[in-house]
Amino acid sequence: MVRVVVPSMLAAQAEGRQRFDVEAETVGDALRALPVADLVLNERGELRQHVNVYVDGTDVRETGALACPLTGAHEVRIVAMLSGG
Amino acid sequence: MAVLALVGTRKGLFLLRAGDERSSWEVEGPLLDGWGVYHAIVDERDGSMYAAANHLVYGPTVQRSPDGGRTWRRSTQIALPEESGLTVNATWRVQPGRPENPGVLYLAGDPAFLSRSDDGGETWEANRGLLEHPTRNRWPASRGGLILHSVQLDPSDPQRMYVGISGGGTFRTDDGGATWAPKNKDVEFDLVPDPYPEVGQCVHKLLLHPARPERLWQQNHCGVYRSDDCGDTWERLDGNGLPGPFGFTIMLDPADPDVAVVIPEKAYEYHYTVNGLGVYRTQDSGRTWKRMVHGLPKQAWAAVLREASAFDSESLYFGTQSGSFFALSAGDRWVEGVRHLPPILSVEVTAWSA
Repeated sequence: MVRVVVPSMLAAQAEGRQRFDVEAETVGDALRALPVADLVLNERGELRQHVNVYVDGTDVRETGALACPLTGAHEVRIVAMLSGG
Repeated sequence: MAVLALVGTRKGLFLLRAGDERSSWEVEGPLLDGWGVYHAIVDERDGSMYAAANHLVYGPTVQRSPDGGRTWRRSTQIALPEESGLTVNATWRVQPGRPENPGVLYLAGDPAFLSRSDDGGETWEANRGLLEHPTRNRWPASRGGLILHSVQLDPSDPQRMYVGISGGGTFRTDDGGATWAPKNKDVEFDLVPDPYPEVGQCVHKLLLHPARPERLWQQNHCGVYRSDDCGDTWERLDGNGLPGPFGFTIMLDPADPDVAVVIPEKAYEYHYTVNGLGVYRTQDSGRTWKRMVHGLPKQAWAAVLREASAFDSESLYFGTQSGSFFALSAGDRWVEGVRHLPPILSVEVTAWSA
């Protein structure tokens, strides 16, 4: 079991829930289990360009992206990378 | 008749309510907080609210509310067919279908697609006739996208409808969407060497007159046009007194097919109004245009986007990128009903009873 934490706008799209405990072997499995999977993954099932995912503090793009294993992991955190002024 | 305006902004949807006079407006919102609401509309058939909501990071969505905006649910399937090689860049408009087809809606968006839902907006299927149109490789994409935005259903013919594409032009189907014929004769496209091509024109907004459905109006990148023969031929009208050819939006009078209202902007790399906020109306099918600016600011460099205006039997409405919402009240006087909203992307109106 791993805990997935989503930012505020995603929580608003999931009836206010910000934390999800899911059974998942990989990051892809965990994201696809979310009720906001379509907002995190694009319509081809890939991680959206400016969505970052951290497993216990490590950016998954450095560790296999959606294939990154979750063995022993505690927390998957989703961050929207927004810039501007 | 009291009115409810659905005002989509770059940061969410606002519901504005006013009584008969349209002089005092109450604001509710933002709903869909943080989403860029390119368009929102009430489906008059069952009262559901739909929004084409997009986000820089989370992508394009269609959202539906059965309870006046209190709760929302996303469509579960808006993707384009995988074999097309295309993916949805943005949702631009949700158009409810005909009264006799409950549950049917159309979704317009970028890259130039029209999808149809038969289940009240839960799932959508792309129209192949447009997605695989033989002229599609001659529709020029721009920095703003390749956008199918206007969807007009002919109330007198259940098989006929029109779409407007920026840039692609106007297309008409007479067989319920199986095939689409370009309808761009005499419509200029002065950005390319052949200024009168078969397709590629940059339609900014296309409207059919509900009481005279063979009459169409369009505000184009290159002029304002009217067609009286279902788009077969077009007459250019902006030379008859408008300050320029360029603008995005157009409004009509449901009771008078000879009336149209536009808001010209400085062409074409600039996109703001000149000489204040100037609204122009014709009451003679486009032969002459007159400024109607009573109540509008004289110092303004405003931009009004293609979806950011609306009309009903009693009034006209529009919103600016600077977050001001205007409605026309008695005596052709504009009232700034609300200001300081986020940049306004869309306006729709519907009757409302307190």
